[in-house]
Amino acid sequence: MPDPEIAILTDYLLIGVLLFGIGLVGFLSRRNMIVMFLSAEMMLQGVSLSMVAWGRYYNDFGGQMLVIFMIAVAACEAAIGLGLVLMLFQRRGSLDIALWQELREANVPAYVEQAAPEEPPPKPPDWPKLHPAGVAPQIPRDQIDHRSHV
Amino acid sequence: MSQSQIIIAAATLLGAGGMWLLLPRGTSRGRAAGLVLAAASAGLLASQMSWVAPLSGNVVFAVIASVTVGAAVATVTFQSPIYCAVWFGLTLLGTAGLFLLQGAQFLAVATVVVYAGAILVTFLFVLMLAQPEGRTYYDRLSWEAPVAAVTGAVMVGILTMTVVAATSGDRLHAAAPVAPAQRLKSGGVLCDQHVAEIGRQLFGSHLIAVEVAGTLLLVALVGAAAMVAQAKSPPGSPPAPQSEQTCGPAENLDRQDTSGDG
Repeated sequence: MPDPEIAILTDYLLIGVLLFGIGLVGFLSRRNMIVMFLSAEMMLQGVSLSMVAWGRYYNDFGGQMLVIFMIAVAACEAAIGLGLVLMLFQRRGSLDIALWQELREANVPAYVEQAAPEEPPPKPPDWPKLHPAGVAPQIPRDQIDHRSHV
Repeated sequence: MSQSQIIIAAATLLGAGGMWLLLPRGTSRGRAAGLVLAAASAGLLASQMSWVAPLSGNVVFAVIASVTVGAAVATVTFQSPIYCAVWFGLTLLGTAGLFLLQGAQFLAVATVVVYAGAILVTFLFVLMLAQPEGRTYYDRLSWEAPVAAVTGAVMVGILTMTVVAATSGDRLHAAAPVAPAQRLKSGGVLCDQHVAEIGRQLFGSHLIAVEVAGTLLLVALVGAAAMVAQAKSPPGSPPAPQSEQTCGPAENLDRQDTSGDG
């Protein structure tokens, strides 16, 4: 380990890489528009982590400045994007991105919906167990043995 | 092929398999195995990090980084979108912690306040507006989960190799002769007047960018309000004047409704 600063830089860059890759997987594979949006934001997080790491390594505030503007642009993006998602939701009544697949390219085959998997039956509700509290009542022996009818 | 390349390749393959098993496939079988595979992949990748060999005092970074990455995987793989959003909040908190460890105090606070406090809450608002019933059938299916997992794993592998190659050579030494004490001096990244220095930089050399960012925020606000207001206008009413340049959302709404769900 020649220089601890290089070690720090490498570690943070690798974490940024992981966040970016996981966000990429989520954006490519999930079908809920909101979750796709969340994944895109996660990719932004990975990039901003790398920015801060480089800025620290070069002793330069440029990286942190860029991340500040990234946060501002992400706020704009969330406002516009969520407005668009709401409009799409009002047109189709669902957040499923597969309902918009007629926007695909002309030579791409249509996505055939798989059979929706069976929803597992709902488990019986897990009510909390109430522990008996207080002192057990003292019942006389003859009352316990007494039976009003046979 | 060096040893570290083989380890990285194995880690990416394991990660791809684990992510594939973790993504919603309609059954809940194999999710535990996927979790084990993804954890093994993360461990192999972590063994390439420089702190595993000496294991000296970087426990805080290890904990925060693993929480961040674990929450990120949970964000992508959980089926209910509400849980996805909550796990994404944990990812944001982890990222803020990493910022703090890097000495970027202002950014840590800004991430928590702006991202977790404003953006994530907006996501949750939209989610509860549009899908209050929790997970639906399309949350339990994925597009092309194996292809997506392999794509992400290849991306991570390539970027990891690039990072390791770029930071292990002599190029960085030649490019940045920054002495460690220079960061702690006044004006350095780690100086104790950190926020003051951020403000000096932001309103000094980046003043025009700040103005542009403010204008962008205003335009985005007006645009989002205009879009949602147009979409909400009832079908019988005359469309708003802006909708003539766009495609007339009110009439479109009618047409889409009669043509049924695609």
